[in-house]
Amino acid sequence: MVTNSPSTHLAHEDSGFLTARGLSRSFDGALVVDDVSFSIGRQEIFGLLGPNGAGKTTTIRMLSTVLAPDAGDVTIGGHSVLREADEVRKIIGVCPQELALYEELSARDNLVFFGRMAGLGRREAKDAAAENLGFVGLLDRASDAVRKFSGGMKRRVNIAVALMSRPQLLFLDEPTVGVDPQSRNHIFETILRLRDEGMTLLYTTHYMEEADRLCDNIGVMDHGRLIALDTPVGLKSAIGDPDEVTLEQVFLNLTGRSLRD
Amino acid sequence: MLRPLSIAWIELKRFGADRGALAFGIALPIALFALMYGAFGQGVSFSATANMVDLDGGPVAAELIDRVSAFDGLEVEMLTEAGADAALDRSQILTAVFIPAGFSDRLEAGEPASVLFKRRGSGGDSGQVASQIVQGLAQDIAAEFEIRELVRSRLDGRDVPEAEIVATVGALMEQAGVAPAVAVEVRAVGEEQNVLDRLIPGVLTMFLMFAATISAASIITERNAGTLERLLTTRLSVNQLFVGKFLASSGRAMVQALILLSLAFAVLRVGDAATFAQVVAFSLLISAAVSSLGLVVAGLARTEDQATWGSVFLTMTLTVFSGTFVSVGETGVLAFLSKLTPNKYAIDAIGDILAGSGGLVGQGPEAAILGGIAVVGVLVARVAFRTAQ
Ligand SMILES: Nc1ncnc2c1ncn2[C@@H]1O[C@H](COP(=O)(O)OP(=O)(O)OP(=O)(O)O)[C@@H](O)[C@H]1O
Ligand SMILES: [Mg+2]
Repeated sequence: MVTNSPSTHLAHEDSGFLTARGLSRSFDGALVVDDVSFSIGRQEIFGLLGPNGAGKTTTIRMLSTVLAPDAGDVTIGGHSVLREADEVRKIIGVCPQELALYEELSARDNLVFFGRMAGLGRREAKDAAAENLGFVGLLDRASDAVRKFSGGMKRRVNIAVALMSRPQLLFLDEPTVGVDPQSRNHIFETILRLRDEGMTLLYTTHYMEEADRLCDNIGVMDHGRLIALDTPVGLKSAIGDPDEVTLEQVFLNLTGRSLRD
Repeated sequence: MLRPLSIAWIELKRFGADRGALAFGIALPIALFALMYGAFGQGVSFSATANMVDLDGGPVAAELIDRVSAFDGLEVEMLTEAGADAALDRSQILTAVFIPAGFSDRLEAGEPASVLFKRRGSGGDSGQVASQIVQGLAQDIAAEFEIRELVRSRLDGRDVPEAEIVATVGALMEQAGVAPAVAVEVRAVGEEQNVLDRLIPGVLTMFLMFAATISAASIITERNAGTLERLLTTRLSVNQLFVGKFLASSGRAMVQALILLSLAFAVLRVGDAATFAQVVAFSLLISAAVSSLGLVVAGLARTEDQATWGSVFLTMTLTVFSGTFVSVGETGVLAFLSKLTPNKYAIDAIGDILAGSGGLVGQGPEAAILGGIAVVGVLVARVAFRTAQ
């Protein structure tokens, strides 16, 4: 059930930088992502929202070439994730929901290593590591083992690693979980700055005011299906005065109040 | 193409950053070698203490004590009569030899003399042996005096000076001692001349198996931590990732091999620099073979625990059936089973190199078999390799 008219996205799907068509995936017979289609324009911040277990992470894993869909396809920058995964990997960066770092290594070593894996030369990787650590405000802790970092600092390293490939499209799966307001603001600024530099971002979060503030367009998933797709203002207008209602009210309206997972 | 090397390098770096793992990796081999050295390093030879009490104080008693202390493996502990009796009473010592007063005088006068052995209980194994040796040496001395007396009595009346008799008999006795009529040769029985030649390669192989399988099991940790999946969103292909993991595991096994072999060569002095180089070179092949087995275990295991216990089970089974610690002989079921373990070929080849027979070049068949295990293992592991949870 799509409560809002899918406005511009589906209509212009061929002009999107990322276009997903009919994506589906099951685990052990349970349909986890069910016929999801949407597109993201260049230099857009796209918010993927939904309750726990809605299928957001599974969708991102399919978009980022590490999980094969049962049906459907995705093109990113004109390349199919199914047939041209290698090309797609050259232009994406992924910041996974769970920290994926080598805790015993320093922040710099983590960044340099993943930079090398993304195809940077030694010198290049070192320079990019310094730049990205500065970007997330951790340059002075570059030599410390990640193990010694606080949760919020690890989150920022997790983001910095994703920037090492200088991606055109960045997937950020709940980057602000467990992060204090200062760090969260820093992450917002980072995201906006990256967008201004030309990056396209797909972003998931459970903080509705965050999505409202940052996202150009929002998709709401529930039970594996994409149930709404619009701008924040468009979504709010559907249930009242967009200046009065909050995105959280829209979210609860769409997904109900029962607990998930 | 350098990416697999980067993966191996970062893994070694992580191993190095984990002080605990590194300490274990070095401390355990040292402990093991200390144990092996203590048990087998000096050869299995006899050593005991002869507790002696000299109530005579004469030259012959001194001569006996000298000869006892000159005997290989025997040390002399001089005690007073009261001290020896008290120590025997308190079981601090189990045997003591008393040289009675007048011992030297009697022998020099050509009369029979005796020494007194006191023992507590059976006297203990080494006490019994020490007593036998002292008895033998005392009899030797007595025999010398007896012979000297016989010679003197035969020459009685002819004008031979006493000093010449003593000197000639002494020289003849010494000559007989240096070149005895009955020569005794000691020959080791069984195929292994040197237990270390077998134990070192056996322990080396076992350690490499643990190192490689445990390092391969870390793939499961990485899979759970999400770094493996993250790597696949980069330009790294699954094949490159797999090769990187294989190199990492082999590299870590080689680090362990270098530590172990350096210790073995430095502490146990099992060979020269050339032998060391050959053994290290062959260890590369062993590392590759055991790493491929480790990757198979890691591929089949679902959890870290399964992988760890799979590694322990595999390593222990192969170690036991290879005959690392117990000889399995040349024929029979055990000998057949040992031929199914890679350990056997590693042990045979390195044992040969250590024993100086054949060197590295002579190990063609063993090298071929270990290489085959590495190749087949890598292919099977590649099929079992999973990157996502
Ligand atoms: N590898 C897997 N095997 C089995 N089930 C899975 C697997 N991955 C995800 N699932 C299931 O798929 C559903 C969607 O999971 P997913 O992680 O995509 O949700 P999500 O929207 O990201 O949730 P959250 O907000 O909690 O992160 C859940 O019910 C989850 O249990
Ligand atoms: Mg998720």
